[in-house]
Amino acid sequence: MIRQYSGIAPKGDLLLIQKLCEKLKGKSFLHINSTKEGGGVAEILNRMIPLLIDLGIDARWDVIEGDAKFFDFTKKTHNALQGKREKFTKDMWDYYYEVNRRNRKNLDLTADAVLIHDPQPAPLIMFRRKPSKKRKDIWMWRCHIDVSNPMASVWKNLKKYVEGYDAAIFSVAKFAKSLPIDEFIVTPSIDPLSDKNRNLTKKEIDGVGEKFNIPRDKPIILQVSRFDKFKDPIGVINAYKIVKKYNDCRLILAGSPATDDPEGEAILEEVKEYAGNDSDIHILMLPPDYHMEINALQRMADVILQKSIKEGFGLTVSEAMWKEKPIIGGAVGGIPLQIVHGFTGFVVHSVEGAAFRIRQYLNNPEMAKRMGQQGKEYVRNNFLLTRQIRDYLSLWYCNIHRGQNVIEL
Amino acid sequence: MQCVSIVKSTGKNAKNLSELRTIISEVSDESIFHHVYQYFLKGHILEYTNDFAHWAGEHLEESALAERLTSIDPYTGEYVDEKVLDERLAKAEPYTHESVNKVRKELIRKIDDFLKEYPEPRDVVRGNEFYFHETVNLVFPVGVKAENLAEFLVAIEHIDAGSIYYHFYESRVRLGEGVSDDFSRWIEHTLFKKKVADRIRAIDPFMHSIKSVRENIKSIIEESVRADMEGVAD
Repeated sequence: MIRQYSGIAPKGDLLLIQKLCEKLKGKSFLHINSTKEGGGVAEILNRMIPLLIDLGIDARWDVIEGDAKFFDFTKKTHNALQGKREKFTKDMWDYYYEVNRRNRKNLDLTADAVLIHDPQPAPLIMFRRKPSKKRKDIWMWRCHIDVSNPMASVWKNLKKYVEGYDAAIFSVAKFAKSLPIDEFIVTPSIDPLSDKNRNLTKKEIDGVGEKFNIPRDKPIILQVSRFDKFKDPIGVINAYKIVKKYNDCRLILAGSPATDDPEGEAILEEVKEYAGNDSDIHILMLPPDYHMEINALQRMADVILQKSIKEGFGLTVSEAMWKEKPIIGGAVGGIPLQIVHGFTGFVVHSVEGAAFRIRQYLNNPEMAKRMGQQGKEYVRNNFLLTRQIRDYLSLWYCNIHRGQNVIEL
Repeated sequence: MQCVSIVKSTGKNAKNLSELRTIISEVSDESIFHHVYQYFLKGHILEYTNDFAHWAGEHLEESALAERLTSIDPYTGEYVDEKVLDERLAKAEPYTHESVNKVRKELIRKIDDFLKEYPEPRDVVRGNEFYFHETVNLVFPVGVKAENLAEFLVAIEHIDAGSIYYHFYESRVRLGEGVSDDFSRWIEHTLFKKKVADRIRAIDPFMHSIKSVRENIKSIIEESVRADMEGVAD
């Protein structure tokens, strides 16, 4: 399976994955999260588990089960960890523990390394098997969400569990917390072989253009994101309007409904109203599984924006860069980690800044092409799935060789 | 060989220059090593030569400080010959971090000098703090071998940027003061091509990205291989 990535991912990453799997051959690696479908975590595990099995690791993926009460609570904690104020009672926290305790009975938690994803299954640490002289399992907690500014009481309660792990893993340095355990930074990644990122034929791209009635007669500016105020769709339209005075172009705003955001519908209506009757603005509401269509839209675009004003990591930036597209992103969350300003794209702080950079790209196709190519190489070296698999295996191996800063394989 | 680094958070961050100075003075050698020496592994832009200078320029927006921090040369010391290196390796472990502590002192000195001349800069915008990291480094053979310059030429094109970093940049701190890159050492002491080695040694590590280091080495080797094939004396 790893051969599929040969010629796509850096050779060193593939080699290190194989070397680490040789060292860890026959050992068990258990992943636990709360959903088999939907979301970036499930997407990565779907690819990673078969690949690790193929390389001789006894990799398993289990999911905890819970009822509506449990998931209502974990949704609330998710929001509160991202800074939203929510109300909690002691009973809720007791129930959170209780559901994990019940799950423990159905789960086989015996593994050489255990990676628990996100807060939902975090209390499972309480049920790790006791270490013996010969054997000590390694438990790692992987946090995929932005916990840089959480509701203090919620983090305090969660921290009690997190501190029991051997290591915590965060996506961005500023999300890391003060903890008495080792904390590592592992950035998220995109899968170059998925429908969202694989190469498409001209016929496939043209087919999507026809499906959505998008004429290919002028440069296309695109933003792919949920209709959410933090993605600043109104700001994108304003930038387009400034550009339009100088360069004829089209704007596509493509996104899926934000089901967990009650304001989503209102924002979409606001965006539609703001766009008015401009036939060069295309607002596309796509079902969440339209991955190939998103891929085609990105590939037909001339400039791609991610003009967020608040962002987690913003992997749509890496998706655009992987397609060699000139990118412009807001200076928030993980976007500046992906865009090296002036080298792989432009980071902007305002509508005017976004408009100026769009004009720069449209008027300097050579520069746009060069930055697009540099962007693809940057993603190749830093944000592909194989790098994330490499990092997880490395962390496991580093934990076995704790205390060493340089480990020779 | 190739080196892959896994980033570890120290839990320390600075929102202004005074905090940066304090943390630089007390943070681990591994953290200084990462922010100065491993800057080149990150696909750096040539305006800066380490993370501290980058932060001073991009987030603190203090160009004068950024220029001064950029000028810090972590590869100090006179060039040592192979015999001295062998003796050094016989009695000491690699990565002794002698030079790391010199760099730490130099960083503090530059910040202190700046603060004597200029008012204390404002705090950075929230989210742009300097986060101090360390790394755990995994070193592994990439299975590419060269026995002569022609094979070396094929290899240098084939290997990853991480491998060029390991042999061109990290060698300088791995083997201690006064040591240059692994490539020129091998070419001089195994292939006895001192002139070629000297030209590779003369590539300024600060003035090139890994990509252009690769291009420069390739063109030097290509020239030498062509001259050998045409029977032109070295």
